Amino acid sequence: MQNLLMLAAEEDPEGIELILPAVDELVWGTITFVVVAWVLMRVALPKIREAIEARERAIQEAKEGADRGRAEAQKVLEEYKEQLAEARSEANKILEEARQSAEQVRKDLIAKAEQDAQQVIERAQGQIEAERTRTLDEVRAQVRDLAVVVAEKVVGESLDRKTQTKLVDQYIEQVGSMNGGSNN
Amino acid sequence: MATDELVHGYAEALFKVVQAEGDVDRVEDELYRFGKLLESNHELKQVLSDQSIDHSQRVKVVEELLGDKVSPHTQGLVTFIVAQDRARQLPQILEEVSKLAAEARQHVLAEVRSATPLDDDQRRRLADALSKATGKKVEVKVLVDPSLIGGIHAKIGDTVIDGSVKHRLEQLKEKVRG
Repeated sequence: MQNLLMLAAEEDPEGIELILPAVDELVWGTITFVVVAWVLMRVALPKIREAIEARERAIQEAKEGADRGRAEAQKVLEEYKEQLAEARSEANKILEEARQSAEQVRKDLIAKAEQDAQQVIERAQGQIEAERTRTLDEVRAQVRDLAVVVAEKVVGESLDRKTQTKLVDQYIEQVGSMNGGSNN
Repeated sequence: MATDELVHGYAEALFKVVQAEGDVDRVEDELYRFGKLLESNHELKQVLSDQSIDHSQRVKVVEELLGDKVSPHTQGLVTFIVAQDRARQLPQILEEVSKLAAEARQHVLAEVRSATPLDDDQRRRLADALSKATGKKVEVKVLVDPSLIGGIHAKIGDTVIDGSVKHRLEQLKEKVRG
């Protein structure tokens, strides 16, 4: 390239000089570039790399933290779901037990009510029967007493003097037919 | 003194008086009937037994009641018993007098209740029939008791021969009651 530049300078020395820096400038520029590059490589680049690495670590940590949080959240969610399922199962179990208990109570109440009703009916039937028997007995007794009262009245009214005499004569005859005394 | 002894003691005393005074049959019969009257009339018996009433008043009741309806001996004997405050035992005493009188005649006493009065022939035939039935000579005391309705009820000592309509109706009543 330098040859090209020298050829160009030889062919048109004034134009090329306008474009090409001076050699010393090139040297110094190169030296300066090397120095700056070396400084950058030795000083700035490690800092930048360190910053980048720190940033990467921070991001990585944040990512890991987020993952842990997500895992934790997932775990909590799973636990929650499990607890919810258990609670639901428990609730269902309680509901089932309550339903069975209520059903049993309902059956017991119905059985008790039926038993009570049966007892009431039997007691009432017994009372009715006793009352019926008592009433019938009373009526029978009243009819018997009434019949005897009527008989007394009828007999008393129908006993005229002749009948009375006949009764006395019959008595005397019957007593006379006894031997040794007896109770009529 | 036991009541039985008291009754018997008074009866013997009264009977001896009756025997001593004569007219035994009438007085004894009157005493017997008064005794039965008193037995069936609780109010009269109560009045004659009431010791809160003065003797003279109770005696006056007897005199007004018997008056000239009975012999003076009968009235005197009843008055005596009442004055002795023994009116409560008077029915038993007077019945015992009749028993003693019957025994003195070697008879037993039959208390006969009839729904209607008996004539002499019926009395005689009844006494004969009872004598035959008991094997003893029976003397009947007839009391008219319409509550019998009809027929006769006789009591000789502890023996009862009941041929009354009332008794038959009671038997019927028992039978019907089952």
